[in-house]
Amino acid sequence: MKALSLSLQTAPMPGQIRVGALWRYAKLLFGTPLNAALTLLFGTMIVVTVPPMLRWLVIDGVLFDPDPNACRVAAGACWSFIYAKSGQLLFGIYPFDERWRPALVCLLILALLGWSVRPASWTPRLAALWVAALVLIFWLMAGGFGLIEVPTSSWGGLPVTLILTVVAIGVAFPVGILLALARRSTMPAIRIGTVVLIESVRGLPLLSILFVASIMMPLFLPEALLPDKFVRALVALTIFAAAYLAEVIRGGLQAIPNGQYEAAAALGLPFWRTQYLVILPQAIRVAIPALANTIIVMIKNTSLVLVVGLFDLISSGKAALADPDWPSPAAETFLFIGAIFFALSFSFARFADFLERRGLTAH
Amino acid sequence: MLSDAKTRSIIIQCALVGVAAAFAALLVSTTFANLRARGIPIGFDFLTMPSRIVISEAILTYKSRDPYYWAIATGLANTVFISAVVIVFSSVLGLVVGITRLSSNPLAAGTCRVWVEVARNSPPIVLLIFLYSLWWKVLPPVGEAFNPLPGVYASMRGLVVPAISMDVATPGLLVIALALALAAAGWAAARRGWLPPLAAPAILAVGVAGLWIADAKFSVDWPIFTGSNFKGGKELTPELSTILIGLTIYTTGFVAEIVRGGVLSVGRGQWDAGHSLGLPRGKILRLIIIPQMLRVIVPPLNSQYINVVKNSTLAIAVGYPDFLAVMNTIISKSSHSIEGVFIILGVYLALNLSLSSAANWYNRRIAIVER
Repeated sequence: MKALSLSLQTAPMPGQIRVGALWRYAKLLFGTPLNAALTLLFGTMIVVTVPPMLRWLVIDGVLFDPDPNACRVAAGACWSFIYAKSGQLLFGIYPFDERWRPALVCLLILALLGWSVRPASWTPRLAALWVAALVLIFWLMAGGFGLIEVPTSSWGGLPVTLILTVVAIGVAFPVGILLALARRSTMPAIRIGTVVLIESVRGLPLLSILFVASIMMPLFLPEALLPDKFVRALVALTIFAAAYLAEVIRGGLQAIPNGQYEAAAALGLPFWRTQYLVILPQAIRVAIPALANTIIVMIKNTSLVLVVGLFDLISSGKAALADPDWPSPAAETFLFIGAIFFALSFSFARFADFLERRGLTAH
Repeated sequence: MLSDAKTRSIIIQCALVGVAAAFAALLVSTTFANLRARGIPIGFDFLTMPSRIVISEAILTYKSRDPYYWAIATGLANTVFISAVVIVFSSVLGLVVGITRLSSNPLAAGTCRVWVEVARNSPPIVLLIFLYSLWWKVLPPVGEAFNPLPGVYASMRGLVVPAISMDVATPGLLVIALALALAAAGWAAARRGWLPPLAAPAILAVGVAGLWIADAKFSVDWPIFTGSNFKGGKELTPELSTILIGLTIYTTGFVAEIVRGGVLSVGRGQWDAGHSLGLPRGKILRLIIIPQMLRVIVPPLNSQYINVVKNSTLAIAVGYPDFLAVMNTIISKSSHSIEGVFIILGVYLALNLSLSSAANWYNRRIAIVER
């Protein structure tokens, strides 16, 4: 009898499921006066805004028509511009015949990022892999040794964004660890110097640091030591990222109980080995959610280099829009660029959520 | 001797300080040499000279024959204005969006989630440039201005909003009224341990009464459309409107997440405990939930407000002259780059430090008092 009732419950008529689900949704949407009011409010907003947007985006939009005049006639979005200009948007003013190189670089960085996010691949070998990959990337982008040389002033688009992000974070991470340790040092000169450095960098807008790096650095440094514009922006981004990462890592260090230090001291471990073997692995694990947030901020921050005249995604979008043959569909172009950034940082955010859920942050 | 920890630490510190000093000396000497080679004088006396730079839009009154220091003040006023407006609007909107995200209504919660995800995952500069490119595409010419809220008109020429106009004597009275209201609120808070429910209306009533007694000429100037133009109100250019709207959309996403985290951080047990004491819902919220929530949200909210000040520099992307943009123009025009850099660093550090010390003061007041 019990089995019968169970089977009756688990296998209802097909129509019943739908009614049940519908009923549940109806209750959620209209169950209380407040929910009914919210449904009406948001429903009206969606009905008013979404259909015209969809019409502009898709129904009236020009998708692949290579003729620029199709866009002038159409009432909707001009996606054919993005399609026709995708090479210029993604790779900027990089020489046309050599575009396979930045394309390969983008694929390489994305593949390596995908590989690196698996916790299983977090070994010292990964760092060596990245260093090797960066040498390869630099060779592919800059040329030499059999490839045509391309100066950094001709680099552009997505590879610039990706390289700036990856290198700035990659260099800033060890620097940030050192700064975090220095800020907790018992030596007053080191501690005070680090506090002043970190707090002034964190108190300043990134744009002002980029301006100082790109416009003022020629005054501060002798001609011989002066790096080119790309490297100057990279240095500014790295310093900025290092200050923020240092604070996040310091937060992780503060979560380590004193017993860990005492245990390491009891084993006779010297300072650096204590840090490397005992403290840092735990501290970084604690700090993973905050680290992920900082890295997302840095992905978004690389978009600021356009202001100091580097050719990132936004600048190459602006350059593509200047083509007089096309009706200059600015909104579509920036929507496309925004979507690329969104995809990068949203997927990273989901990855951070995954790490948090897996309990890797617990120690 | 090297094995002695104390001696070693002194040697290491001396060495590091020495290296830093040598580096600084190298920077300073090269800078001076470079400046001398280019024939650029050093000193702050250029500040009183006429600037002759153009600031396209300003909250303060500025003419290009005004001195440099006034140009700097004008840029700073623009930055402070943007930051203040964005902080106020995104706090209110963020509170609403953050709480709506926790609603059981899937439509409302979903819409707010889309807002938060878009804001958190797109670079603010792309958001600003995108909104700016929409301005002429979506909005009608001035003749058919779009009227989303009473008194607010949006058209190709920008936003028109109601302005608050005051008699010359009124600001002083306003300050008196505000001081009175704050004193009353402080007194009430000190007595009750928390702001009583009627505090806000009471403060407002005290303020309005003060103004009314003083017979202040305090009026709201509603914009009126006159066929081809607006009379009254305050006109905001597309650039300024884009920054205000864009940064508010962006910051709201972050404030909403902070508020949501704050609400979730107060455990269900706190509600249950309040119920078991026989407190009504409103009192539980006011006496138990909100004080604990504030403790969680004030520190991150503070860093978010500092981020607003920093993000206001993105105004440069749409060509609005904020402080950094004005300083940039001044530096390239006057070639007083070293002084300019020091002013930039000093002003942003001062702004952000004052914001965070205000928040720290507030945070200390609401923190747990441990015996």
